[in-house]
Amino acid sequence: MRCAVDIEARDVEEMYINIDPIQAGGRLTPEAMKAAISFGDGYSVCDNCRNPPRLDYIKNPPIAQYHADLAAWLNMDTARVVPGARRGFQAVASTLVSKGDPVILTALAHYTEFMAIEAAGGIPREIPKDEKNHITPDAAAEKIEAVIREFSRTPPLLFVDHVDYQFGNVHDVAGIIKVAHQYDIPVLVNGAYTVGIMPVDGKALGADFVVGSGHKSMAAPAPSGVLATTNEHAARVFRMTQAKGDVTGRTFGMKEVEMMGCTLMGVTVVGMMASFPHVRERVQHWETEVAHSQAVTDALLSIEGTKVLSDYPRKHTLTRIDTRGSFDMVAQRHKKRGFFLASDMKKRGITGVIPGSTKVWKYNTFGLTEKQIRHVGESFVGVAQDNGLNTV
Amino acid sequence: MSKRAVDAVFQALFLLSDIRFLLRETAPQHDLDEAEQKRAAATLEKVKRQIAVIEEELVR
Repeated sequence: MRCAVDIEARDVEEMYINIDPIQAGGRLTPEAMKAAISFGDGYSVCDNCRNPPRLDYIKNPPIAQYHADLAAWLNMDTARVVPGARRGFQAVASTLVSKGDPVILTALAHYTEFMAIEAAGGIPREIPKDEKNHITPDAAAEKIEAVIREFSRTPPLLFVDHVDYQFGNVHDVAGIIKVAHQYDIPVLVNGAYTVGIMPVDGKALGADFVVGSGHKSMAAPAPSGVLATTNEHAARVFRMTQAKGDVTGRTFGMKEVEMMGCTLMGVTVVGMMASFPHVRERVQHWETEVAHSQAVTDALLSIEGTKVLSDYPRKHTLTRIDTRGSFDMVAQRHKKRGFFLASDMKKRGITGVIPGSTKVWKYNTFGLTEKQIRHVGESFVGVAQDNGLNTV
Repeated sequence: MSKRAVDAVFQALFLLSDIRFLLRETAPQHDLDEAEQKRAAATLEKVKRQIAVIEEELVR
C-alpha cells in the first residue's frame, strides 16, 4: 500500500516485533500519533504565537508549560526543545568551545559529539574505556591531566554518555562529573539512551547540561530532543540575539542565537508533548524493561557459542551480542550466508536484526510486551535449533 | 462549514489509530485475547458512528 506516488506506507511496527537498536524508544505513543495526524502541517504550532514571538512562550498548545515541565522532570533549571540531541551538543559546544580548544569526550562517544566539537573548532580528546567497556572517573581524571599537559589549559567542556550506544552500558556519570568539576570543567551528559526510558535526575548527577533525544528515547517524531541546563549556564547557551541589520536597522527581539530562533515548529514538538505523560510514567517501570532485556539476552546465551559483550546481568535494554561462535558458524555454510538470521527471524515476525549480521550486533527490547519478549527469545532459540546449533 | 464533519473525521482517525496500536501491541500474530477483542469491537463501533456522522454531514 502506498501513501504517495512512490512511497510505500510503513507498517513495520504493525507487522513485526521490531528490535532495531536505535528505534525502540522513539516509537510513538497513540497520543503522539494522534497529535501527528492533527499537527502534521508545517508551522502548525504557530497559530497562537503572540508576543514575544518565540516557541517556548506559546501557550496554546501548551508549549511554554511543556518547557517548564521538561526542566522540572530532568531536575534542571531550564530546558529547550531542539531538533535532535546532536543540535543540543552543537549549541553547547558552539557556546563554550573556541577554535583550538581541547574538548574531552569518551572512547564510546557518539559521532555527533565529535561533529559538534569539530564545528566549534575544538580538538577532541578521548577518555579511554577500560577492559569492561566502562568509562571510569579515574580514567577521566587521567585524561584531564594529560590534556592540560598537552594544551597548557583546561578544556572548556567534557561530554559523557550516560549510557553508550555501543554496549548499552551505564557509566558512572556522577563520578566523572565530580572529577571534572574539580577542574572547573562543565559536563554535558548525553542522555540519548536514558532520557525518556529510565529515570534521569540532572542535579543528582551534577550535570551542567543534560541532552536527550526525542526520536530515540522520548516516543517522538524525528528530529526532536531536549537540551536542559542550570541557571549558571542558561544565560550563555540561551543568549538572545544582538544582531542588527546595517541597512534596515532590523533587530530580532528575544530570538535565541544557538536555537536559531525557534526550533521545533510543528509535529515534532507536539509529538514530544503528547507522549510526555506516558514517557514520564514509563521511566518508573525501568526495572521491568531491564528484566525483559535480561530474558532475551538469556535466551541468546542459551545458544552454545554465544557471548554477551555488554554488562551482564543487563542494566539496559540495548545489548551487544557476539554470535561468531553460533549464528556466524551457520552463516558460513548457509545458502543465504549471513543473511539467514535476519531472514529467519523475519519469518517469525521479528525485524531489526541488521540483514547480514551474524558476528557482533545489537538489539533493543525496549517497549515490548511480556508476550512479545517471550516470542523474541523463543524465536532466537528456534532459529538456532532449526540450523543445528546446540541450546542448553 | 461543518464543524461536526471535521470533528467526526478527526475522531474516526483517532479511533483507527487506537486500532493501529492494538495491532502493534499484538504483533506479529495479532492473536487478540478476549479483552483485546472487546476493545477492538468497541472501538470499531465508535468508528462506525463517526462514519455515519460524516455521511450525514457530507453526502446527504
